Amino acid sequence: MTKKKPLAGIINISLNNILSIKRALEYVGFNVIIFNEQRNIEKFDLIVLPGVGAYHEAMKKLRDTKLILSIEQALSKNKNFLGICLGMQLLFEKSEEFGSTKGIGFFEGKVENFNKYNVEKQTFIGWNRVKFGTKKILIQKKSEKNDLLNSPFYFVHSFFVNCKDKAIEAGTSSNGKLNFSSVVKKDKVIAFQFHPEKSGKNGLILLKYFVKNL
Amino acid sequence: MIKRIIARLDIKNNFLVKGMHLEGLRILGYPEFFAKKYFEENIDEIIFQDVVASLYKRNQLSSLTNKISKNIFVPITVGGGIRNVNDIKEILVNGADRVSINTAAVKDKKFIKESVKLFGSSTITIIIETLKVGEKYKVYTDSGRTETNIDTFDWIKEVQDMGVGEIILTSINNEGTGKGFDLNLYEKTSKICKISLLAHGGTRNSEDVYKLFINSDIDGVVIASAFHFNYYKELLKKKKISLQGSTNFLIDKNYKNIFFCEIKNLKKYLKLKKINIR
Repeated sequence: MTKKKPLAGIINISLNNILSIKRALEYVGFNVIIFNEQRNIEKFDLIVLPGVGAYHEAMKKLRDTKLILSIEQALSKNKNFLGICLGMQLLFEKSEEFGSTKGIGFFEGKVENFNKYNVEKQTFIGWNRVKFGTKKILIQKKSEKNDLLNSPFYFVHSFFVNCKDKAIEAGTSSNGKLNFSSVVKKDKVIAFQFHPEKSGKNGLILLKYFVKNL
Repeated sequence: MIKRIIARLDIKNNFLVKGMHLEGLRILGYPEFFAKKYFEENIDEIIFQDVVASLYKRNQLSSLTNKISKNIFVPITVGGGIRNVNDIKEILVNGADRVSINTAAVKDKKFIKESVKLFGSSTITIIIETLKVGEKYKVYTDSGRTETNIDTFDWIKEVQDMGVGEIILTSINNEGTGKGFDLNLYEKTSKICKISLLAHGGTRNSEDVYKLFINSDIDGVVIASAFHFNYYKELLKKKKISLQGSTNFLIDKNYKNIFFCEIKNLKKYLKLKKINIR
């Protein structure tokens, strides 16, 4: 008997590249459906919230399209959930971008601009190392874990998450003198500030764990 | 910060081409094969540039983007002939992460500001093609074909103020020649550039890249000929492709302007020299 492929749903809120995350999820073994408006997420094995761009615009779009209801359904039903980049930031309580914008509020803490801090790059485009926390172990296999621990991932951001509850912090990175949360995890919800779909082979290894651990 | 090693693939009529000083283009093969190979060799990023699009005012990049971005899981920048917001949207939904703009930035600054607002600063990369004449550096557009009267250093400052995320600075004098980077140019520009700055034009070997990184605060290098020739040589050895186009120069031992650099070896060399790379 062939095992049925797990089904991932990508919540589409941005004008930017959504095809890459779709292709990466397909590459690691998912069937993928992209949705632009609210739908029942019951049959999905994983819900993905990616995103690049402005926080307030994204929140507005989530409300206008009622996609926010699908997200809330996924979070309350304890679905496997993956946030990427802006998608990670949206899961927090609020952002300081243009005054203050209320977020989804699944994680405690706020999103702040790099420009208030002693950082090397106010807009960070490129590769950065991630120090995975020892308590919140994502990767079990030792050889792969070593690979991942020493490998950089691809980041694009001018905002970062100031995480209130350090217990959810599963990985940290730094920009100049500032340390910030680059991976957070609570229950079945995990979020990366970096782009696993753009982080070469190691990014794909990380995504593969979602298939294995479903 | 980790220095980025980026491969640039120049495209003309769906073929990978390469020239010298942005001119004299020769067909090397299908860009998707080269891109796949570079991804497997751990390249940090890939840039696809349609080198005749802006000259002929046409745009066929979106379907090509879709094809070449398949199974490439590193960041992809696509450019060439982008003139409006719709062009950008088309390219992004077809698998690119960023777009690069040169000619349109000089002609229409409002368009750049609008794009930054719509797509985010990190999505917009400006390519600056500069030609050194005497002691002055002048900005060129249309892949080095059209002269403007703009000073390169002034233009860098202006581009930064438009809010874009990154600048690729191409030295037309050195591009495709393999005579090393214009170190003076990048030393000076990296001092005035606060956003991400990438150097393009002149790589012959690993040492050139090393010299650039220790001489200036550059975020990454963009390499074309040296990578392409190296891969082409491999393909020739394996007799994987029949010669097409004017590629005989690649096996001509007396031809000076031919040089080879392998991504793996380059990265190994830089790591050995304690440069922070992936």
